[in-house]
Amino acid sequence: MVRDSVMRERAETLLRSVPGRFGSVLHSERVAARLGMWLGISFTVAFATGLFSHFMQHPPGRLSWPSRPVGLYRVTQGLHVIGGLATIPLLFAKLWTVYPKLWQWPPFRSLSHAVERGLVLVLVGASLFQLITGLLNISYVYLWPFSFPVAHYWTAYLLYGALIIHVVNEWAKIRRHLWTREQVDPRETVTARRRFLGTVAAASGLTVLFTVGETYAPLSRLALLAPRDPHVGPQGLPVNKSAAAAGVTTVIHDPGYRLTVTGAVRTPLSLTYDDLLRLPQHTVRLPIACVEGWSAEAEWSGIRLRDLAALAGIAPDAILTVESLERGGGYRSSEVRPPHWNDPLTLLALRIGGAPLAPDHGFPVRLIAPNRPGVLQTKWVTKVVAA
Amino acid sequence: MNARRLLRCVNARRLLRCVNAPGLLRCVNAPGLLGYGIGGGLIITGLAGLLVDARHSDPLGWALWFGGLVVAHDGVLVPLVLLVGVAVGRLRTPSWVRAGLIVAAVLSFVALPMVTGLGRRADNPSLLPLDYGRNLLVVLGLVALVTAVAAIATRLRRRRG
Ligand code: HEM
Repeated sequence: MVRDSVMRERAETLLRSVPGRFGSVLHSERVAARLGMWLGISFTVAFATGLFSHFMQHPPGRLSWPSRPVGLYRVTQGLHVIGGLATIPLLFAKLWTVYPKLWQWPPFRSLSHAVERGLVLVLVGASLFQLITGLLNISYVYLWPFSFPVAHYWTAYLLYGALIIHVVNEWAKIRRHLWTREQVDPRETVTARRRFLGTVAAASGLTVLFTVGETYAPLSRLALLAPRDPHVGPQGLPVNKSAAAAGVTTVIHDPGYRLTVTGAVRTPLSLTYDDLLRLPQHTVRLPIACVEGWSAEAEWSGIRLRDLAALAGIAPDAILTVESLERGGGYRSSEVRPPHWNDPLTLLALRIGGAPLAPDHGFPVRLIAPNRPGVLQTKWVTKVVAA
Repeated sequence: MNARRLLRCVNARRLLRCVNAPGLLRCVNAPGLLGYGIGGGLIITGLAGLLVDARHSDPLGWALWFGGLVVAHDGVLVPLVLLVGVAVGRLRTPSWVRAGLIVAAVLSFVALPMVTGLGRRADNPSLLPLDYGRNLLVVLGLVALVTAVAAIATRLRRRRG
C-alpha cells in the first residue's frame, strides 16, 4: 500500500516534469505568439479566398459576380494555393514550439480547461487536415474516400471557428508578447528566437519561390516543385480533364455536330462547326485559372457569346447554361450569368493561337470568360440554354 | 509611483491572474464573448455541413484522416524532429546546420507527393510534367551549399574575432 502510493507519487512527479524537459528556449510563448500572428494572417487570407472561390462556383440566389478585373480569380486562387503552401512551415514550427504543452500534467485541470483543450485539438486537426490534404490534392494524390472540395469547404469553417476561440483565449499572452518590447530575455535567447523565426520565414519564402511560377509566368522557370508548368500541354497550355477522361474522343468528331441555342429564345439556333466559323470572329487574351491554383494565358479566337445571344434574341438579363458533350461529371455544364455573358471578352472559342482547339482543350468549341474558375470554362460545348 | 505606472501595475497583475487561471472564460470581456459566439457558430456550421453533406464528405473517412494526421504529427513526426534536434545540438556550430535542415525538410515535405508521382495519369501529360526527383535534389543541393558557406564563414569570423 505504502509502496504503491510512493510509486504513484514518483510517476506523478515524472509526468509533471515532462514539459520542463524540452530544453530549447524556442519552446516559448513569445515564439508561439509571433508564429501565431503569421498563421492568423495566412489562415484569414486562405478562408477569404477559399470562400470567394466557393461562392463564385455556387453563387447564392441571383447574385452575380462581376466579370472584371479579368485576372481577379487567377490572383485570389493563386494566393490561396501558394499562400497555403507557404503556411505549411509556419504550422509545423508553431506546433513544434508548443509541443511540450501536449504533455502537460494533469491533462485537464477543470471542465473548462478540458473544453479548451478539445477546441485546440479541433484547431490542430483542422489545420493539419487543410494543409496536408490541400497539398496532396494539388499533387493529384487522392488517397481519401471523401470529395476534396466538400470536406475542405466544411473543415475550413471548423478551422476558422476554432482559431477565433483560440485567439480569444490567448489574447492576454498575444498582447503581452506582440505589443510590448520589454527586453528582459538574455541576448542569446533573443538571437536564437530571431534565427529560428528567420529560418521559418525563409522556408516559407523558398516554398513560394519554387512553386509560384505555376501561376506567375515570369517565374515559371523557377517552378521546380510546382505540379504544373504553365507552358506545358497541348498547344502550350495545361489541361485538367482530357478528352479521353471525359469520354468524348469520338463524339467530338461526329459530322452531325451542332451547337444549339434553346430555352427562353426568340429564334432557336442549330449551327454546324462551319456555320460557327462563318460568324464574326474575335480574338482575346485571357488566362485560364484553375481552382488548383495554376493559371496560364492564351490567345483565344471565336464568337462572342453575346453575339450568339443577340442572334437568338435572348434578353440581356437571362441566365445562360452552357452544356458539354460530356455525359456525366460534376462540370459537364456551367451557368453564365449576365455580367459574364454580356462581356465582350467572353467567347465560345474555336481556336487557340490561330489553330483549332486540341481535343483536350475542348474541340470543337469551348467557353472562355474573364474572372472565372477554370472548371466553369466548359469544354466540348454543344448547347446553350437561356433561362 | 505615478498614476500611469500604478495602472500598468494593476493591469499586469490582472493579466497574470487571467493567464494563470486555467480554462475557458478566464477574464473574458464583451469582445471575447462575441468571439466565442462567432467561433462556436462557425464550428457548428462546419460540423453540421459535414454531416448534412455526408454522401460527399464521408464523415467516417474524414474523421480517420483528421485524427490520423494528428496522431502521425504528434506521435511520429515531432518525436523524429526532436531526436534530430538533439543530435544536431551536439555539433560545434549547430545553428546553421539547424537552419539548413529545417529549410530542406520543409521543401522535401512539399515536394514529396510530386516526387512519388502517384498523381500521374497516362491520358494527361501536362499534369506533373517535371522530373520532381531531380528538381528536389537540385534544390536540396543549393540549400546545402548555402548552409555550408554560411557555416564556414561564421566559423572563420569567430576564429578571427
Ligand atoms: C496548402 C494549403 C491549401 C491548399 C493547397 C488548398 C487548395 C485548395 C483548392 C485546390 C481548392 C479548390 C477546390 C475545388 O473547388 O475543387 C480550395 C478551395 C477552398 N479552400 Fe483551400 N487550400 C489550402 C488551405 C486552405 C485553408 C487553410 C483554408 C481555410 C482557412 C481553406 C479554405 C478553402 C475554402 C473555403 C475553399 C472553397 C471550397 C469550395 O469551393 O467549396 N483552404 N483550396
